[in-house]
Amino acid sequence: MSEQTPPPERAAESPAPQPETQAPPQQQRANGGRDGVILEVTDIHTYYGSIHALKGISLQVREGEIVTLIGANGAGKSTTLRSINGLNNPRKGRIVFQGKDITNDPAHSIVKMGISQSPEGRRLFPHMSVLENLEMGAFQRTDRQNFKEDLDRVYALFPRLAERKTQRAGTLSGGEQQMVAMGRALMARPKLVMLDEPSMGLAPIFVERIFEIVKEINQQGTPILLVEQNAMMALDVAHRGYVMETGHIALTDDAKALAKNEQVQKAYLGMD
Amino acid sequence: MERVKGRSGMGAAGRGWNQLPERARTLIPATILILLAVLYPWYHENWLAEFTNVPVIINFPSVSTAVIVIVFVIMAVGLNIVVGYAGLLDLGYVAFYAVGAYTAGWLASGHFQQVSFHFGSAGISRDLNGIHVNVWIVLLAAGLLTALAGIIIGLPTLRLRGDYLAIVTLGFGEIVPVFVRNGDNLGGFNLTAGTFGINPIDSPGFGEGLNGAWGGLPVNFQQSFIREKLFFYAALALLLITLFCSVRLRESRLGRAWIAIREDETAAAAMGIPLMRTKTWAYALGAFFGGIAGAYYASFKSGAFPSEFYFNISVFLLCMVVLGGMGSVWGVVTAGSILAWLNVEGLANIGTYLKRQTPLDFEVAKYQFGIYGVIIVLMMLFRPTGLIPERRRKLEMEEGVQDESVYGASR
Ligand SMILES: Nc1ncnc2c1ncn2[C@@H]1O[C@H](COP(=O)(O)OP(=O)(O)OP(=O)(O)O)[C@@H](O)[C@H]1O
Ligand SMILES: [Mg+2]
Repeated sequence: MSEQTPPPERAAESPAPQPETQAPPQQQRANGGRDGVILEVTDIHTYYGSIHALKGISLQVREGEIVTLIGANGAGKSTTLRSINGLNNPRKGRIVFQGKDITNDPAHSIVKMGISQSPEGRRLFPHMSVLENLEMGAFQRTDRQNFKEDLDRVYALFPRLAERKTQRAGTLSGGEQQMVAMGRALMARPKLVMLDEPSMGLAPIFVERIFEIVKEINQQGTPILLVEQNAMMALDVAHRGYVMETGHIALTDDAKALAKNEQVQKAYLGMD
Repeated sequence: MERVKGRSGMGAAGRGWNQLPERARTLIPATILILLAVLYPWYHENWLAEFTNVPVIINFPSVSTAVIVIVFVIMAVGLNIVVGYAGLLDLGYVAFYAVGAYTAGWLASGHFQQVSFHFGSAGISRDLNGIHVNVWIVLLAAGLLTALAGIIIGLPTLRLRGDYLAIVTLGFGEIVPVFVRNGDNLGGFNLTAGTFGINPIDSPGFGEGLNGAWGGLPVNFQQSFIREKLFFYAALALLLITLFCSVRLRESRLGRAWIAIREDETAAAAMGIPLMRTKTWAYALGAFFGGIAGAYYASFKSGAFPSEFYFNISVFLLCMVVLGGMGSVWGVVTAGSILAWLNVEGLANIGTYLKRQTPLDFEVAKYQFGIYGVIIVLMMLFRPTGLIPERRRKLEMEEGVQDESVYGASR
């Protein structure tokens, strides 16, 4: 199980160029490195005390892409995100963002560099208002003058938040809280957004809306690393995907190919 | 439920009051309080001082008592930055008081007899040996040095949380007085004068140059006929500056970061708030005001003595913050004034009164810490958010916060 099963189809990490059909919609190779790679994670090992949670994870996110990370509970998806954004730095391996090594940087400098996230379980500031939460998202920004513009952008994506801006975040419904969490991540004007299970605990109608918004954010030009339990929906919006199994990457491919993959269908899409 | 009753009980006047803009609602009482405070020496002298047999409290606090009360309130407001704003339990705040007091001892007294250094000293003979820096400058230096001490204490301890942090700060609070008591022979060098303490310490003043300017600035407070009043007004000015900074700080970006860390440390880190730096700022700024207050008090008493820097002062200051309402500046000022007054003379007076009026032979002042303990317990039972609760703090206490540590992200 935990062995690195050879990918049944050609892994995306192979040097061969990506098929053009899967090219993400926006500006490839804008300011990233090789092939427009904006985030490159190479063989990272992350621990919680003595618990070896990530046992050599490698992945890439390119300019303009939605990349999804799927896998069973406890596989290490959230830990991967925590490793990238400095909440739990890896002990081994390398993380390069826009050509800069950020492996051991603290969370605040990584946010400043342009990676923001909507963390697992949303983690809003429950006693702050919606607006104050959004302001916290812009905490590391130095360009105060663009604040209003970004706020308007968030309100345009989530009109509900504009109506609720003075309400305390802790009293919002689950779906509204998710909107605040995503909006808060966008307020950092990020160059890469990481979303950890944005659909968790939401009604199906809301889930669809959230995924539409994920797409919309991406179409506005921001690459997204998306962790999801809802593999079907995630593979539907993503360009590429990685399947995690107990601290390893078990499989990686274009999202469409993964959705058709038998193993994936059996394990994560609930099909027989 | 109690709260709701109180509100409606205020009736029409209360409703009219609530319709005033927020700014007016804070500015009006603040102005009245400041006026009452500024005029205190005047109406104390002309009116209050005549009463020498007031029920229960016997007499109204003298101006000199008021100086001590103000000094303690400044320290409590400083501690409130650490405990109330940033949510870091500090059981060793007395260390900052000590550093402040000894800075005054080092920079404004004849302690270092081996040198003679004068810098703008007011009303101090040039022939005197020792370091004599102008006390106003000393106050600032004490604040800065104490802030540095705050950072030194803060850096190694801020990775700890809750109880562990409290225990380490407690340790620092104990180390400082022990060091001070034994600092009279550091490899032959007398830094602290050991158990004797440093005295006399210079007092503030404006020197010959400004003497009489703007309606009579005094050369030196200590040598003035109205010594108490001068110390009172300067203390009041320091308190107002402290309050202003404290209120501004709470509304600042840093203040927001403290609230965020209090509410959810992991989320705060994920928003890009540098945890270590933000917490260290709380220690440094809290310490800064403690240092100024300590130096001023040392100058007022004209001495820094190791016997004053015990653990009970830390607890006493913490009581002021908790009773007033953590994070609530006005609450802390209120509770701080009451407790400091009780400590200086209130309890003793009440004891005397009880002895006079009742057959009880009961030294109230002897049981002071027992009495504070009872007050705290009663408050925790009936009004755990403090006398004047701070809005956010109150919500946090009633609804709880995310209290899970960040894995390896405490920097
Ligand atoms: N704070 C922690 N302390 C110790 N172990 C942890 C901690 N957080 C996560 N782990 C362990 O690390 C492993 C990976 O956890 P992670 O949260 O990354 O999984 P996940 O893929 O996000 O799961 P889920 O889909 O349930 O969110 C699990 O075995 C988990 O028990
Ligand atoms: Mg997870």
